[in-house]
Amino acid sequence: MSLAAEAFVSQIAAAEPWPENAALFQPLKGEEVTILLPTLQAYLRMCNLPVQVCCRANAEHMSPSGKVPFIHVGNQVVSELGPIVQFTKAKGHSLSDGLDDVQRAEMKAYMELVNNMLLTAELYIQWCDEATAAQITRPRYSSPYPWPLNHILAYQKQWEVRRKMSAIGWAGKSLEQVYEDVSQCCQALSQRLGTQQYFFNKQPTELDALVFGHLFTILTTQLTSDELSDKIKSYSNLLSFCRRIEHNYFQEHERPGLDPLSIRPSLM
Amino acid sequence: MLLGKHVINTMAAPLELYCWKGGWGLPSVNIESLTVLAYAKFAGAPLKIHKIANPWRSPTGSLPALKTHGEGSLSQPNKIIIHLRKQKYNADYDLSAKEGADSLAFISLLEEKLLPALIYTLWVDPKNYVDVTRRWYGENVPFPLNFFLPSRMQGQQLERLRLVRGNSRLEPGEELEKELYRDALECMNLLSQRLASQKFFFGDSPSSLDAYVFGHLALLLKVKLPNGKLQQHLKSIDNLSQFCSDILTLYFPNDGRETPGSKISTQPHSNDFDNEPNKRRNQVLSVLVALGAMLSYALLTGILSIQQVHPQGALGSSKGHGAGTHDEDEEEEVE
Repeated sequence: MSLAAEAFVSQIAAAEPWPENAALFQPLKGEEVTILLPTLQAYLRMCNLPVQVCCRANAEHMSPSGKVPFIHVGNQVVSELGPIVQFTKAKGHSLSDGLDDVQRAEMKAYMELVNNMLLTAELYIQWCDEATAAQITRPRYSSPYPWPLNHILAYQKQWEVRRKMSAIGWAGKSLEQVYEDVSQCCQALSQRLGTQQYFFNKQPTELDALVFGHLFTILTTQLTSDELSDKIKSYSNLLSFCRRIEHNYFQEHERPGLDPLSIRPSLM
Repeated sequence: MLLGKHVINTMAAPLELYCWKGGWGLPSVNIESLTVLAYAKFAGAPLKIHKIANPWRSPTGSLPALKTHGEGSLSQPNKIIIHLRKQKYNADYDLSAKEGADSLAFISLLEEKLLPALIYTLWVDPKNYVDVTRRWYGENVPFPLNFFLPSRMQGQQLERLRLVRGNSRLEPGEELEKELYRDALECMNLLSQRLASQKFFFGDSPSSLDAYVFGHLALLLKVKLPNGKLQQHLKSIDNLSQFCSDILTLYFPNDGRETPGSKISTQPHSNDFDNEPNKRRNQVLSVLVALGAMLSYALLTGILSIQQVHPQGALGSSKGHGAGTHDEDEEEEVE
């Protein structure tokens, strides 16, 4: 969103309280489900903001920036984690108010770390590893489209991801190195978490939601090998962190049919 | 002061580092080279440093590059630092686990939020690029690379910016600049908050995070940019500016005393800031080209001919006369 639009949204958002019929839109089950879904749900639940989940086939096109999932609140439609956090902040619900400056700096830095390493690694494994791409990613990405469009779109997306990888210097990495990077990132997160319940004090913040979203996705998505999820499971405090959030924020609200997380195996 | 941090290495020959040469009082004008140089100083690694301005002369084709013993050459600053760590030159020796994790996080923050704005300011912003960046590279990169290397690098950087932002239709302009600068200002504020009033980010001795921050901010601090919004904001942040100046005076005192006019000629040909060698070379070239053109014109129109067809008639001018006698001799020899 441009700066002017953001300021406008914040202004409008501050005017009204959170309505009862807020909705979170996501694409149909079975299609490519994004990593942001558990992140956003966790974040909204942590803020105690009720939201209904709606599955629509054209969710991608309804979203203002093309990214799913997005929320529809009152008159506004907001997508992506950053703007949504600002939006809820404007409405008066914020998880990171209790942090001092240094902690806020650390929180932002760790969010970037997660975006930088985990997200890129997930993209790499999905698209640049030939085995995974051929068996899982491409079929899943192209399933809603008829032949020959599905092949064309899948290869186009793969080519685009590969170009991005070479621009940031990940093209020369082998799968082993990528696993190593993920492991390093998880180690950093694990060391930061230590024995605490959440990353900062006793209250969850958007960092917790983001980490939960990524880890949950990695642990529950089917890939050709289980090496990645094994690596995460080796950090026991991260695993118990995920379980704790799932237990606190998801299991009480679970309603069959409405909650997309119910289609996934829980973290056993 | 840094001896406690590393085991004395028994390798005979030091590792060789190729990096961009310096300017504006800095040891190097390239962000990644600065990061690696700073880390090497912090960790006390004895490196043989080659400061060059020709990326084709580096072992990997890009700068910076570290030539290792037996493991080939490494190009990315991340890999270079890991290699130095393996050789027991470790500036992060004293960090706790949590501080190490924080380092990783803040380095990611730098790369995601600050680096795109730096790339924009130095390479994409039209005024800055033409007045400062392209001019420096045009003057310092040897002939004939200086004609096409700067614009090629600009294309690469713009492409990288596009891919990192995920928008393939990005064009340089007001809106992109505002977005990037906003992220960069926020990042600088966050770094400043984390640094607070400490000397380095983690206590009294510098670590790899300090090297990365120095590498990214030093250029912004020292280069005189015509469009300097980012620069002004950095200068207004006292603790970060102080941090960079401290590192420069403590670890790179010689480079700080350099004036733009002086040269460090490690290469056979000199790289002056004034255009003398280029002008002379251009003059010589143009004289040669002109002579060649005149000679070929003379040959083609028959004023001057080497092979004699009609010895009596065609040679009228004095120039031709001299050549004519020579030609007659030649003809005699042929026969």
